[in-house]
Amino acid sequence: MFQSFLSLTFKGIRYRPLRSWLTVIGIVIGIMLVVIILSLSGGLKNVINRQLQMFGSDLLMVLPGKESNLILGLFGGQKFAYSDIKDLERLPGVRTAAPFDIGTLNAEFRGEKKPVFVHSSRWDVLRPIFEESMGTSLADGHWPKDENSNEIMLGYLAANTLFKNKVRSGDEIIVQSKRLRVAGIFETMGNRDDDNSFYMSWDLFHLISGIKPGAMTAVVRVQPGYDPNLVARQVRFELAKQKEVEEFTILTPVRTTAIVGNIIGVVELVLVIIAFVSLLVGAVGIMNTMYTSVLERTKQIGIMKAVGASRDSIMSLFLIESGIIGLVGGLLGIVFGLAASYGIGVAAESYGAPDLFNWAAVDYFELLVILIITFITGVLSGVLPARAASRLEPAEALRYE
Amino acid sequence: MWRYAAAYAKGRQSWCQPNNHMEKSRTERRDPVCGMDLSDVPEVITAKIHGESFYFCSRMCSARFKTDPEKFQGEPMIHLHDVWKVFHDGDVTTEVLRGINIHIWPKDFTAIIGASGSGKSTLLNMIGMLDRPTRGGLFLEGKNIARTSEDERALMRSSKFGFVFQQYNLIPWLTAYDNVTLPIIFSETKGGMERETIVKHFSDIGLGARMEHRPTKLSGGEQQRVALLRAIANNPEIIIGDEPTGNLDSVTGAKILDMLIALNKKEGKTLIIVTHDADIAKKADQIITLKDGKTIPGHLQHAKTYTE
Repeated sequence: MFQSFLSLTFKGIRYRPLRSWLTVIGIVIGIMLVVIILSLSGGLKNVINRQLQMFGSDLLMVLPGKESNLILGLFGGQKFAYSDIKDLERLPGVRTAAPFDIGTLNAEFRGEKKPVFVHSSRWDVLRPIFEESMGTSLADGHWPKDENSNEIMLGYLAANTLFKNKVRSGDEIIVQSKRLRVAGIFETMGNRDDDNSFYMSWDLFHLISGIKPGAMTAVVRVQPGYDPNLVARQVRFELAKQKEVEEFTILTPVRTTAIVGNIIGVVELVLVIIAFVSLLVGAVGIMNTMYTSVLERTKQIGIMKAVGASRDSIMSLFLIESGIIGLVGGLLGIVFGLAASYGIGVAAESYGAPDLFNWAAVDYFELLVILIITFITGVLSGVLPARAASRLEPAEALRYE
Repeated sequence: MWRYAAAYAKGRQSWCQPNNHMEKSRTERRDPVCGMDLSDVPEVITAKIHGESFYFCSRMCSARFKTDPEKFQGEPMIHLHDVWKVFHDGDVTTEVLRGINIHIWPKDFTAIIGASGSGKSTLLNMIGMLDRPTRGGLFLEGKNIARTSEDERALMRSSKFGFVFQQYNLIPWLTAYDNVTLPIIFSETKGGMERETIVKHFSDIGLGARMEHRPTKLSGGEQQRVALLRAIANNPEIIIGDEPTGNLDSVTGAKILDMLIALNKKEGKTLIIVTHDADIAKKADQIITLKDGKTIPGHLQHAKTYTE
């Protein structure tokens, strides 16, 4: 009997293809979103963790502002005094303390002008951080010889894609009307922003930019054998004495991982809520379609009852239909979700974040659970309309036009 | 509620026992053939048979009784006792059936006639268990089915009745063949036609090549033939037709009617048809004439009047 009911249902669905497909799409969108979130969140964590590892496990980051609102701190204009950061090197366990200042300057290379993001620090502290802590090597050229030379360093993308012509070591670039020589070009750091940046000595940057000297951020390198958390505590104590920046945050590698994990968690939660709401919207769509179906097919329900269909039979027909819509929606949602995740993975790879999506990491049991959930959602959405259909009086239904 | 309960109790006491209606007929002036209550009818035909007095509403009933008195001492296949159907629409109350008493005998061809709005289709819906009476007793083979559950009614509709409607009422998204098998799919009892039998029937009615066509691709006559096949798919005892030829031209209508009558005469199906056509009514064994929700005596002489 079930087979016959299934066949009847499929014939009914095929008779109204557009309506059926539109309802299916409602479910597909929700499930697609769920699948994308599930299949990318693992990859996203891996990508971010890898980036953090590249940053170096012996480095501490000093930022102005509260931990809960670092972005505001960075754009708040507060800067540490150069001497306050330099003084940190006197603390036990601190190997070097590199003050960083950041700004956007105008660069011109062979007649082509571009605004560029410039990091500035001291070459003598920057070099060990890049080479030893971050493992960044040079693709071309050499490090600048001294702090007072008119030499700069370029990120990998800044040298290769920023201008129409590729920049090589030894080339001259005009920054803020000052002619500078490119000493070297870094290999990729796995971070698009860093790869697109220029790197300049502290004095040169403040001389040509006119930006008020001060450290927007600082990177402290911990001596081997010292606990970064303890050093961070000392740095906090020391910096609390200075007056320039009242609120600041010190990020240890562990703390940074935790913050990023929290952010991803919040993003995931928001996306899951959105996915759940869109699934709910899809379910309402099924219910709406099924109610319309009951109205449209009132006469046919009457006919079926006249030829012997019981309430249970009519109910079953409608529940099978809504279940099929849910199931097909779930199935297509999973297929499109995986396809979209794959597409996003490919796009991310070209953006410098490989392995965001990995077929091997797809959890097929999870997908099966999603499929079951969509089927149950479909069936549940059909319960009320199916009940309404099954309770129609045959004579009344037959009179319906 | 108490009125319904009283009627129900009365119905059970009076009509559930075999041959009890004969006793009633003698004492209540009830036509033993068509079941009509003749208490308030001034002109009735009386006949003394084997020393007992019987009352008839018309010559048609009395002639039938005299021809085969044994048949009418048995149990009517369908018996309606004081059946009322009242519709409520806001404050407006419409009494569509007002105390209907009828007998329908096994293997008979019964025509129900009456002017538009007289309650014919409502009466047919009651008989075919598509609708419930507001009050009164509705008996099928002696069992009061007026208040049975919807599932029991579905089971009875599936096993006992076959329907042919004026509008054909085929399911548009199913093929002709699928439409015919519909009652078999829904039936919980076995006894429906096998595929080979259905295919043979399709050939017999000239639609062998059109089994896989949807109703929209079939003419009215072809659709009605499919509907007729659907009506007999579960091998029911009773075929019910609500103006089955009403939407067809005279030639096609005559063919459909011939097929229905053949089912009655050759296969012994009880045939109940609502019709506007006096010529169809005249072919029936029994005519029930309705006027304003009541049956009226003198079946044949009114046939012309109430079918025009």
